[in-house]
Amino acid sequence: MTEPDFPDFDTMTPADFEKYLPEFFANGDGHVSTDPRLQKFLKNHPDCAALVRDLEAIADQARSLFEPRDPGEAVWNNIQKKLKQ
Amino acid sequence: MDVQGLQMTQNTPAPGVFKRNPPIAGEADAIEAAKNGDAEAFSKLYALHKRRVYTLCLRMLGNVSEAEDMTQEAFLHLFRKIGSFRGESAFSTWLHRLTVNLVLMHLRKKGLNLVSLEETINPSEEDTPKRDFGSRDPQLTGSVDRVALERAVASLPPGYRMVFVLHDVEGFEHNEIATMLECSTGNSKSQLHKARLKLRELLREPAQSDQPAGIKEVVV
Repeated sequence: MTEPDFPDFDTMTPADFEKYLPEFFANGDGHVSTDPRLQKFLKNHPDCAALVRDLEAIADQARSLFEPRDPGEAVWNNIQKKLKQ
Repeated sequence: MDVQGLQMTQNTPAPGVFKRNPPIAGEADAIEAAKNGDAEAFSKLYALHKRRVYTLCLRMLGNVSEAEDMTQEAFLHLFRKIGSFRGESAFSTWLHRLTVNLVLMHLRKKGLNLVSLEETINPSEEDTPKRDFGSRDPQLTGSVDRVALERAVASLPPGYRMVFVLHDVEGFEHNEIATMLECSTGNSKSQLHKARLKLRELLREPAQSDQPAGIKEVVV
């Protein structure tokens, strides 16, 4: 996958960061907070760093969401009825 | 039918083919028998895969009734179409795709045109996540409560929920989602980002009304 033209990481503004954040997440392993290119920016912009931490926490927790569960018995009964028709 | 004795095989999968779904012992015989109309084999396949199919439907649709209806539809569709399964991918992968496509069709029938995400499944103005750079509340930064997040995901607008579930929960790549939803990869990335922003907003709301916070308070 080709990387988009990112702004200069040293002069990037929070608005630039906001614009490119979906791409930052999509590139690499999805963890923006550990991207070495962004360390200086995040250190200098704690609001952006806080947002990144929250979004990463949401994405990380998503993997454990909705534990597998079984459908009700009626589902199989209905399937059997329809198969017999 | 007792399928508890069925075990996952230990074979090393071919790269990319069984990425998420290794073959299940006994499944191949059941598939072949089901292709010949064996009712017992259908029952076995249902027992093997009902949980995964139902959970997928539940994640994508956000409510039990619709998820059960779509589980029923997915297996009826499977039993009608099983003759077309050629074994080019793992059966569970094939069934997973079949289910995703059925749910997407169902949502389109309900009026959600997924072809152009930006224009047609974008939520209303009030659902759009607020851009709040510079308005950080440091008390809300930290880990996320799973139950609160499940509730928040269920309350997302369908378009956001779809991309979030497919990417962050089910593990599809943006290019795969783009193919399924017939949109660009950029669109998929953008929708995922908006979904996460919306979830963050939803998780912050309880804290503002003195209820248990979805994003737990941590020392920063």
